[in-house]
Amino acid sequence: MAYSDKVIDHYNNPRNVGSFDKTKSNVGTGVVGAPECGDVMKLQIEVEGDRIVDAKFKTFGCGSAIASSSLATEWIKGKTLDEALSIQNTQIVEELSLPPVKIHCSVLAEDAIKAAIHDYKTKHGPGVRRQT
Amino acid sequence: MQRCPNCDAELESPLGCAACQRIFDPPEGLSPFELLGLPQAFALDEAHLRRRVLRLGRLVHPDFFGNAPAQERELAERNSARLNRAHELLADPVERANWFVTALGGPAENEQRSMPQAFLAEVLEWNELLEEARAAPAGSGLRERLEALASTLAAERARGLKSIAAHLAPLPERGSLLLRELRTQLNALRYVDRALSEIESLSLARASLR
Repeated sequence: MAYSDKVIDHYNNPRNVGSFDKTKSNVGTGVVGAPECGDVMKLQIEVEGDRIVDAKFKTFGCGSAIASSSLATEWIKGKTLDEALSIQNTQIVEELSLPPVKIHCSVLAEDAIKAAIHDYKTKHGPGVRRQT
Repeated sequence: MQRCPNCDAELESPLGCAACQRIFDPPEGLSPFELLGLPQAFALDEAHLRRRVLRLGRLVHPDFFGNAPAQERELAERNSARLNRAHELLADPVERANWFVTALGGPAENEQRSMPQAFLAEVLEWNELLEEARAAPAGSGLRERLEALASTLAAERARGLKSIAAHLAPLPERGSLLLRELRTQLNALRYVDRALSEIESLSLARASLR
């Protein structure tokens, strides 16, 4: 199976690889995995106000999983939490031309974004006023 | 116990009759346990399974049907394949448990993806250590850490299997919530097994460089 040029580009030059200190209050961390293939993906966001100002990821998995998470971090940077939550895996599939057998990689990236935002919101609680 | 339609002897398996050496075409959709004539239970005597498979394997082996009509020859081939598939499935406790969870209407592997965050964070750590080990020069002390990880994982695997076995005896009811828990535990084993096999291939690669 051939990877698309965009997947290869993200695989060779992944954007935003790395970690934030997950104990910091303005950082949200999501770790998700695909049991079928053992892939595991960590996606972190740094938030100011309700805007994602930076994002990092670390993925152990196939090229499509790496490309999906790399693209996800690019897309969510600068977005508000609500905007980031509205990203659908199908948009990732389309952008990277993922074949049907790799669609679960895009699902993983969408889940990772949601998990990171959920973690951030949990840290701040529903009624807690955010400080920037 | 079914009887042989040819010689009326008791049938050990629907694949064929040990008494008159006749082979049969069992109906589709039989469980691997039914095909091998074993009780449908997770606990299984491995030596007993091996003996049963050897005996049936000889009974349905295509070599003994070399002079038989084409139809029977093909049936022997099909039955050998059925026997092999059933054996592979039953011999591995993870596959066996997986079969029960699916057969009892539990969620499939990819229908129950969510795992505790703490567990996934652990999986991430294993992978980070593996990544470090791949990049590190030999003799940098990582080997000990890898070995430690391998024995931790092996212990975790044994614990997981034990817990799965306990949940499957007696078998949970169809559609029981316990099946979701079992699927989560089986998925955890997948991550453990994957990490173990990566450690193994890494050690093999290192050994061949020496």
